[in-house]
Amino acid sequence: MSSGTALRHGWCVRLTLPGLATWALLCGSAAAQRVNLQVRPNSITFPTADPDLAPVVQAQPLIIRYQVRNNDTGAWRLTVLAAGDLIAGASAIDIANVNWTASPTPPFQAGTLSRTVAQTVAAGFGNVPRPGAGTLTFQLSNLWTYAVGVYTQSIVFTLSAP
Amino acid sequence: MRTLTLTFGLLAVSVAANPAFGQAGTETEIITATLNVAPLAKLNLSALSLAFPDSNPDLAPLVPAAGGPLVVTARTRVTPGTPVTLTVQALDDLRSGTEVIPASAVRWTATGEGFADGTLSAAAAQTVATWPASGAYAGRLAFVFENSWTWPTGSYSLTMVFTLTAL
Repeated sequence: MSSGTALRHGWCVRLTLPGLATWALLCGSAAAQRVNLQVRPNSITFPTADPDLAPVVQAQPLIIRYQVRNNDTGAWRLTVLAAGDLIAGASAIDIANVNWTASPTPPFQAGTLSRTVAQTVAAGFGNVPRPGAGTLTFQLSNLWTYAVGVYTQSIVFTLSAP
Repeated sequence: MRTLTLTFGLLAVSVAANPAFGQAGTETEIITATLNVAPLAKLNLSALSLAFPDSNPDLAPLVPAAGGPLVVTARTRVTPGTPVTLTVQALDDLRSGTEVIPASAVRWTATGEGFADGTLSAAAAQTVATWPASGAYAGRLAFVFENSWTWPTGSYSLTMVFTLTAL
């Protein structure tokens, strides 16, 4: 898992004597927050299907592993944001046609992708000292109005505390 | 005895702001989603046969098909900019033994997005409907037979073929 570190409640004091260079810099900090996030696989594919037979198509499930430490009683949140609509050349499929189901609930919850507002995938308070794990499955409304093409888009998961 | 004297001037004390202090922990992962939309075309007709009842030409110069209009449903996925066309062509004229009534004695009026009226032909496919893009379309074709005193008696039939094309 990749990790991010933050300092909280930190302070520094610089002591200066006239005519002298700074000779003391005292610093201290409380314990640092740490979040770890892993989403696998890093690419998913919606299967092609007859809309009459499969009005909704599912991609393979994602396994999400996450860890939150030194968070005291602070909130943590996992969000997801699409970088745009599904695009194939000049053709576009509204990313709002993609929603997901997730487990376990809580802390995970279902939702619909957006390209403008990050959507909550999971949330909680305090620490997740041992890596937590959840499963998320994206589903696409399979419509006859989609033009032929190979559509792609990036989807960004963000774990933050607080 | 030796004396040590220490003299201090004004002390300047400042608190340095560390831009890193107070930031929340954040980590991101990026995945790629892919969808392959392949070409597809489906055509459904509400009936596979039509029958025109025998009628007095003076009372019914145009005889509608029994059972009401034919409901046509077309569903296609096409490349952007590719038109979709639905055509119909009779394989032959109306025949009863050696007697012949031209296929053009059969006409239809249409309702529904993209649908158009027309006259049946054994010589060339006739356009029933056109659409500009992928989608699901439905319409109704009300067939009528042009009833004439000149038609020889007999039991006539023909086969007509509907073709949905996306090129």
